[in-house]
Amino acid sequence: MITVDRVSKDYRTRTGPKRVLDNVSFTLVQGERLGVLGRNGAGKSTLIRLVSGAERPTSGRITRGMSVSWPLAFGGAFQSQLTGVDNVRFISRLYGQDPDHNLAFVEEFSELGQYLREPVMNYSSGMRARLAFAISMIIEFDCFLIDEIAAVGDARFHERCNYELFDKRGDRAMMIISHDPGYLRDHCNRWALLDAGQLTPFDDFEAAHDHFLAQMRVGETVRAAAQPFSRRMAAIDSLRRVAHEDEHFMALVRQADAARDQHDWAAAEVGYAAALSLHPYERSYWVQLGHVTREQGRRVRAEIAYRTACAFGEPVRLLAPFIAAVEHPDSAGPPTSAATPDGGETRRQPPGYPDLAVLSAFAGGTERLSDDAALSLLRRPGAIEDVLARMLEDDGVQAPPVTLPDSIAIVPGDAPFRREWLEDLARLAGARQEGLEAALSLGDAPLAALRRAGGLEGWALPASHAMEAARA
Amino acid sequence: MASASQPSLIASLKVQRRVLAALLVRELLTRYGRHNIGFLWLFVEPMIFTLGVTALWTATKSVHGSDLPIVAFALTGYSSVLLWRNMPGRCIGALMGNLALMYHRNIRALDIYAARIIIEFAGATISFFTLSLVFILGGWISPPEDFLTVAAAWFLTAWFGAALAITLGALSHEYELVDKLWHPASYLLFPLSGAAFLVSALPPLGREIVLYIPVVHGVEMVRDGYFGTKVEAIYDPGYLITCSLVLTVVALIATRWVEKRLTPQ
Repeated sequence: MITVDRVSKDYRTRTGPKRVLDNVSFTLVQGERLGVLGRNGAGKSTLIRLVSGAERPTSGRITRGMSVSWPLAFGGAFQSQLTGVDNVRFISRLYGQDPDHNLAFVEEFSELGQYLREPVMNYSSGMRARLAFAISMIIEFDCFLIDEIAAVGDARFHERCNYELFDKRGDRAMMIISHDPGYLRDHCNRWALLDAGQLTPFDDFEAAHDHFLAQMRVGETVRAAAQPFSRRMAAIDSLRRVAHEDEHFMALVRQADAARDQHDWAAAEVGYAAALSLHPYERSYWVQLGHVTREQGRRVRAEIAYRTACAFGEPVRLLAPFIAAVEHPDSAGPPTSAATPDGGETRRQPPGYPDLAVLSAFAGGTERLSDDAALSLLRRPGAIEDVLARMLEDDGVQAPPVTLPDSIAIVPGDAPFRREWLEDLARLAGARQEGLEAALSLGDAPLAALRRAGGLEGWALPASHAMEAARA
Repeated sequence: MASASQPSLIASLKVQRRVLAALLVRELLTRYGRHNIGFLWLFVEPMIFTLGVTALWTATKSVHGSDLPIVAFALTGYSSVLLWRNMPGRCIGALMGNLALMYHRNIRALDIYAARIIIEFAGATISFFTLSLVFILGGWISPPEDFLTVAAAWFLTAWFGAALAITLGALSHEYELVDKLWHPASYLLFPLSGAAFLVSALPPLGREIVLYIPVVHGVEMVRDGYFGTKVEAIYDPGYLITCSLVLTVVALIATRWVEKRLTPQ
């Protein structure tokens, strides 16, 4: 049994001591697999290092009544000037085992071949990971500490790791830390949530997961600095990265992926839609949204999602059959071709649903674009600037409404509204976001404000609006 | 529960032996590799140093204040310097490069220092022993008059060097100033350490001052054992032992203190 008794850990920083763990207590007995959820920087790695004994707590006691591994799947404990063989021998000597027997195992398991006789500094990161895992498996422990093992190696190696660890050694105690709830759900039988230095235990995964998600919601969302990209593909590439760094976003899509895998299409749709409301330009999830709405028979929404994915750069070749299937379920009539971006200026690119929502909020004050209106705009050929021109013309000669909505629906369906839509507008029009917000707060009309912030440069707009904007 | 986590002394000693053995091999491989003469460099390097200094002093007919042959003087003096001066050099910053090792619970900071000190001690000792043998067989110097005194002096000097090494090593992990200051200090201490003079050759005031430096007692004691009747050696083993004891306590406290602050990487 491992007993962690009122353990606290402080780190010294330039601004004084920072408490990473605060009065954490738990026990772990044979056969228990404890999964610790927590976001980046919650102190998960510190906790695992303390339990492993590599680091000492500032206060409190950790008692180990069984042999405990070092934190697995980290590639660090190698001397990089030494060869793989030397490192295996070192660990074997350290733990009093037969080096040659272990060497044979590592050779077979890591599949490093001749590289095992090369200095570790010549290894790729994947090879290091393979060696690290193989070495971890040569020493038998009663308790394994596992730090985000899901990130190791290719799928085939991952499969072997899972077998070695969770199948052959399934009777051991384990403590696993990860920010992937699905991984912990599959491998653990007890869960705990680490937040602000406090550890809260749960006997039930769903409860732990709900708390984890709730925590994400109150946390700060990762925001992209709205750079005035003139080319949309560059913007989309950056925005996807921002999305992947947002733990709330990743938690939502993982939840949705899990629901999709269980064919719970409605729950999956809710998850994907909520995720896309946070980061509407992570195009691959528009594809997923298309699939899960199609499964529910909502063909209009599925088509909107598929066409949006195409407009944002997902391969049309792969999506065309799905679009055809939802557009003409009885295979009557020719499918309307899906528009694709060409890497040029943003105004000349085809719009996706978020663009249409933003533009109609801007031009018409609309909070929610109807599915049918959106679909007809998506099917109709034309670039973003043509869509805006048409919207302004449809309004006749009136100026756009002076009051813009606070938040708008940026994903079809019941997804939460997006407050940051002005950021999307600024990016779309190539305007500076601060400039736009400043001009709006001074009482400028939206179009004039956008122009003043440097937006809509070179856009073809109806003559009357162009003149009005010039006057402003 | 407590007994389960508190292994017996025998078991602990076994672990300690294993850890040190593993660290020694790792250290030797990392430092000397398998190229050319490999770990023979362990003592070939200090031998080259000592031989070089001996040759230089012989060529310049260095004045050292006695009628000892210069070869004998250089061998005893410079070997002792290598013994205590290289240990701190190897222990300063030793933890920084080995932080990943701390993931293995059984490896403690003290083990890393101990492995390096053992290697330094072995290198300096083998070099001293081999050169002595060569010079004696070659007829340049006569065998030590009192081998046990030489051995005792050698071990006492090593003890002081080890305690100094661990103290500076532990402090250097928190204060990089230690590393910066050690280099000039070790060079300045060299002429003061008794390697290049006999205490008896100094004026009374000079004697009083250099005898505050613990390693001077070590070198004088080595010479006493080697040439007892030919030189007047002035030293006090009690002073050296007291200094080493105090420094050992400081070293252990510093190691504990720094271990609390280690974050493995």
